[in-house]
Amino acid sequence: MNAVEIRTLTKKFGDITALDGLSLNIEKGKITGLIGADGAGKTTLLRTIIGLLVPDAGEISVLGFNPATQKNDLIVHIGYMPQKFGLYEDLTVLENLILYADLKDVPHDFKKMLEFTSLTPFQDRLAGDLSGGMKQKLGLACTLLGNPAFLVLDEPSVGVDPISRRDLMRMVREMMGPETTVLWSTAYLDEAHSFDTSVVIDKGRIIYDGIPSALGATAQEFEEKVIELMGGYKAEESQIAKNYRYRAAEVDLTVEADNLAKRYGDFYAVKNNTFKIKKGEIFGLIGPNGAGKSTSFKMMCGLARPTEGTARIMGIDIRTDPERARSNLGYMAQKFSLYGTLTVEENLEFFGAAYGIGILDRGKRVDDIMEIFSLKEYADQKSEDLPLGLKQRLSMACALIHNPPILFLDEPTSGVDVLTRRDFWNHITSLAKKGVTVMVTTHFMDEAEYCDRISLFYHGETIAIGTPAELKERAGATTMEDAFINLIKESEKQ
Amino acid sequence: MKVLLALIKKEIKQMLRDSSCIIIAFVLPVISLLIYMYGVNLDSNTVTIGIKNDDNNNPEIATLIKSFGHSKYINSVVLYTDEELDEAIRNSKIKGAVVIPNDFSTKLSRGQNAELLVITDGSEANTANYVQSYITSIANGWLASSKYRTNMYAPIISPEVRFWYNPDQDSHYFIMPGSMATSMTLIGILLTSLVVAREWDRGTMEGLLSTRVRPIYLVLSKYIPYFILGMASLAFSVFLCIFVFGIPFMGSFLSLFVVSGLFLFACLGIGIMISTLLRNQFQASLVAIGVGFMPGLMLSGMVFPINSMPDILQKLTMFLPPRYYVAFIESEFMAGSVKKIILENAVFLTILGLLLFAVVLRNTKTRLER
Repeated sequence: MNAVEIRTLTKKFGDITALDGLSLNIEKGKITGLIGADGAGKTTLLRTIIGLLVPDAGEISVLGFNPATQKNDLIVHIGYMPQKFGLYEDLTVLENLILYADLKDVPHDFKKMLEFTSLTPFQDRLAGDLSGGMKQKLGLACTLLGNPAFLVLDEPSVGVDPISRRDLMRMVREMMGPETTVLWSTAYLDEAHSFDTSVVIDKGRIIYDGIPSALGATAQEFEEKVIELMGGYKAEESQIAKNYRYRAAEVDLTVEADNLAKRYGDFYAVKNNTFKIKKGEIFGLIGPNGAGKSTSFKMMCGLARPTEGTARIMGIDIRTDPERARSNLGYMAQKFSLYGTLTVEENLEFFGAAYGIGILDRGKRVDDIMEIFSLKEYADQKSEDLPLGLKQRLSMACALIHNPPILFLDEPTSGVDVLTRRDFWNHITSLAKKGVTVMVTTHFMDEAEYCDRISLFYHGETIAIGTPAELKERAGATTMEDAFINLIKESEKQ
Repeated sequence: MKVLLALIKKEIKQMLRDSSCIIIAFVLPVISLLIYMYGVNLDSNTVTIGIKNDDNNNPEIATLIKSFGHSKYINSVVLYTDEELDEAIRNSKIKGAVVIPNDFSTKLSRGQNAELLVITDGSEANTANYVQSYITSIANGWLASSKYRTNMYAPIISPEVRFWYNPDQDSHYFIMPGSMATSMTLIGILLTSLVVAREWDRGTMEGLLSTRVRPIYLVLSKYIPYFILGMASLAFSVFLCIFVFGIPFMGSFLSLFVVSGLFLFACLGIGIMISTLLRNQFQASLVAIGVGFMPGLMLSGMVFPINSMPDILQKLTMFLPPRYYVAFIESEFMAGSVKKIILENAVFLTILGLLLFAVVLRNTKTRLER
């Protein structure tokens, strides 16, 4: 029995073909994972399945309905969670639940749901004030209201820490009955590996449809196979690192945090944060959403003033001389923070100027960096029109345009597909070998393994610091993700 | 029905939490009423003028100077030299001056044509006109009751002027109601131009569309809360106008609120239409200001009379709700309920409002496709 049957489905947006004669069956009562590179057509497929988009050609049947003509009959059976947080940030948790319960005509009985999502203490908080992980849980809770027969989830775990990610998975598994079908799009391949079926989509076509274990027995093998299917990835010499010119410096401890703290009223967002990073080291800040990682980052680059303590960049105190300290930094913010309406080249020129590259050298430098990052062919495109992977590449190019000896990367790979992430880390590790100091945050625990040292951050404090191997040993875990969860739980007990 | 109610509740909560809504609905009208009440004055009813009397040996002339002092429209200052007069006008201390030549009484008593020099500050043309007519009428009034009267022929026609509907000729009596059209337009067009676009910008629309909502519910859930807000704001403005600022109200509250409701309905249509078509808050607010609001006010007839506009602009005003509303509200306040005016404007506003509602409904889709 199939919940979804699709035959030669085509959907175009202008000149771009998002779905290209795609055919697919989705089995009823199973969890199907949808994997694919950025711009492969995942979101378009999901939107077409629930009738938000109408296909140009082909046949589609969902739970026996045609979404193109019978959307109103179909939609009552569907729980859809869009990629962008689709709830009202100016309504409270409870008000959002009430709204969606009324829209779906289900009773206002949220006690179980709130407990289940551990949102009970936060029910009167505005949704906009929740941490990333809690927002996603609330989104999923609203989606699950009324026990829909078919759950369609568009990357629910993007930007979510490993603990919240497990919670999301648990919520879905516990709420689904034997007849419930789930279609779950994800960038996490370990997640996809745990599902009943895997569907890999590339350039609007299905390139794999079958059980995950047929591709690889372990999540790691599965990931390698998926990468192979998506065209394969060969670690080439990083052109970025090759062309990087390290600015000689005598400082050995390039980044130092000294009792750094940030207080809002009575609440410490960051407390007693102390660490020292050596030249050429990759230092990871890992922790749940809302642990204070971004606040630490902002203080370290002089964007937020520390309440107590200080930080030194290349030995320069960030409190006394923030501008000079900052000139040694390349910063990549969590959200895409380039100018959407400027072209790729204009963005690079602007950041070159902002980082103090003289007007005479700038043209050549911009040209070089576009060459290195293979951005030449997109030079005249508006940056907001680029696919996510290219946006990230451009952000990194902007952060590196002045050859900084230190890179601060705040969740640089959130929402980025596995191929782009591999490529990205190839550049990072190569740059580190050339002496660049890297401080990075991530929610991908496999990425944490690339770090030389990790600081595990929880409730504004460092609860563990060491190499990935040390942390795993301390937590008695085999994977970084288990280590993360064990260490957090251990700290909660205390 | 339950869906509609849930959506309306949600919209009202969002509205109450957004301080800019409350500011536009209740603070802005106060500010605009205060500005129109104390800052704008189209009458300029007390002007200061200078009087230079070169004929000062005649006591009869002194009564002429006194009668300038008695006028409630004029403050008079006595000047003695030409230099003084010149300086006072140049520094805007006085807006005009009367110079009585030394042979004034002599010529009058001989029954000759006596001249009176009236100087006005032409850089403020409007005020200059007032000065001229005030001075002329005061001088004529004095002449008619002075001892030189017998030497004059009585005029055959003597016009008795009555200003109907606004006997005191106080421009506030029509500007203040007109300003309510301004604030209602702001609420109707500017606030609502954001409401649909905001759902698209924040991604909440995709969530809504994946539920059972029907287009009509989506549309009504935007109209109804802002209609309530607009009417509350209107009631507040009317209260301020009549009971705080003492603007006389000759009409009926029933017809005032019914026609205001129709006006608001049409304005909401413009705002929500912009929002629905553009799906982007920034663009929508620019278009709302540019297309809906500025011409809506300039072409409403409140400040610039419509029948003195070029033909093409007059035609254009037919599509702008403020035109009908300003015409209605001015007459409702000053002349009282006039059936023809109420009906005419109400019918046009209803047609316009329904037309816009139809456009909005047609363009509200439950899919992401346009």
